[in-house]
Amino acid sequence: MERQTINKNKRVFSAEPTKLSPSEVFTRKYTSHLVPALKKLNMDKNSPQINQLTVKHEVDMALALSAQEFAWSRFLLEKLSSSNNPTTTISSSSNGTRIPERSCKEDEDGEIEEKLRELQKLLPGGEEMNVEEMLIEIGNYIKCLELQTSALKSIVQDTT
Amino acid sequence: MLECLVSLESMSLSSMDVSVLERLKWLQQQQQQVLSTTNASPELLQFHGTNNDELLQNTFSHFQMLGSGFGPNYSMGFGPSHEAMDGCISRTNSCQMDQADTVGVMLNNSEENITIILKNKRKSEVKTREEEKTEKKIKVEAETESNMKVKSNLSNTEASSETSKQKSKAASETQKLDYIHVRARRGQATDRHSLAERARREKISKKMKYLQDLVPGCNKVTGRAGMLDEIINYVQSLQRQVEFLSMKLAVLNPELELAMEDLSVKQFQAYFTNLPVVVASKPSLMVDAPLFPLDQQGSLDLSVINPNQATTIEAPSASWETQSQSLYNTSSLGFQY
Repeated sequence: MERQTINKNKRVFSAEPTKLSPSEVFTRKYTSHLVPALKKLNMDKNSPQINQLTVKHEVDMALALSAQEFAWSRFLLEKLSSSNNPTTTISSSSNGTRIPERSCKEDEDGEIEEKLRELQKLLPGGEEMNVEEMLIEIGNYIKCLELQTSALKSIVQDTT
Repeated sequence: MLECLVSLESMSLSSMDVSVLERLKWLQQQQQQVLSTTNASPELLQFHGTNNDELLQNTFSHFQMLGSGFGPNYSMGFGPSHEAMDGCISRTNSCQMDQADTVGVMLNNSEENITIILKNKRKSEVKTREEEKTEKKIKVEAETESNMKVKSNLSNTEASSETSKQKSKAASETQKLDYIHVRARRGQATDRHSLAERARREKISKKMKYLQDLVPGCNKVTGRAGMLDEIINYVQSLQRQVEFLSMKLAVLNPELELAMEDLSVKQFQAYFTNLPVVVASKPSLMVDAPLFPLDQQGSLDLSVINPNQATTIEAPSASWETQSQSLYNTSSLGFQY
């Protein structure tokens, strides 16, 4: 604890108010949702081991709660709250098959359509959007996934 | 303005029953305001992203707070110009805008104004267009009030056609601001459907370009299909990573409780604020997330560290261990969060 106080004294603060970038805002929200949820999980279930699925549920829930500006987060929330059993919004194994490319150009549009549909499946709620919306949402989703990944990584690193 | 877009679109699009005339009026009013300032690419009925930007900011102030915060910042992560997204966005947004603003829209001589604007814009045109034809068409369309979708209407008004799809793509890439890039082009079908289809396709290609900036490694792949492949793979890999990490977390969770005390939380908070915290051990991973190489698993990305913080990295990790050990000993579960 001594070191902590020493470090506290060394802390430097700037005079300007902190301006948070959206990635910071998101990450802060995310961790503020996830960490207490995990703690709660720990507290509630003392004897039974923490299920991987419930952790996943919490992880997804934290993601959905932290990104409420986006449409996909609402879909995600609905999915999570509607089913008590944590749903795997990620079908990592089942979507592994890639649609083989066709050489002829005539099919190009159809192939692209298929890929767009596949992308829609990846995004929570993507199937209910039209393509243009979906593409934008995918951008947000990717960004939030990246932030989520880094947040989780640092959480995991904290414990190891 | 990403946020604006998304939230507005998600809030169920307005009915596009605003008359074309009113819409044109509104838009050209905005154009006239910004006419001198914009370095716009030549577009008939050019709807500047910046115009809509201003409007959006004016009327949706609460979104502005978030939107403006997101816009410039996301651009660093997302890549493409702020305005490009606005261009894409503005189609659906502006309809809602219109409903808010139609009260102030005056039905003046729209045609003349439009042609004036067009003539002004044409000075900066790069490509030759069939201008007269389009002028006439604009007038015709402006006269007819209809309940048709505004998009297809406007695309018709700008119609003549070009043959190659590539040209249209190139043109749309050079014109950053507009959301309606369906221009007068030679040789293409001028019927409504194909024009609407063209407009739609160009919009999509713009968004694809935006995604291309977002997804690493997409630049090398050409063509929509390849890019989509990349994007799909990227999203899948991100999702798998999250799954894997949550699995790891589940395993580590018992230790998590004790280790993730308020000090860790403080560390997080320290990262998020850009304060030069001497204590802060971990590099600001979160802030630099876009730069974060995803193929690095479970290792501190030292390249991201500020030089100031680099020296203090060793110490805090040790301090954590000692502290966590002390916590283990005391078994105090005070959650000072």
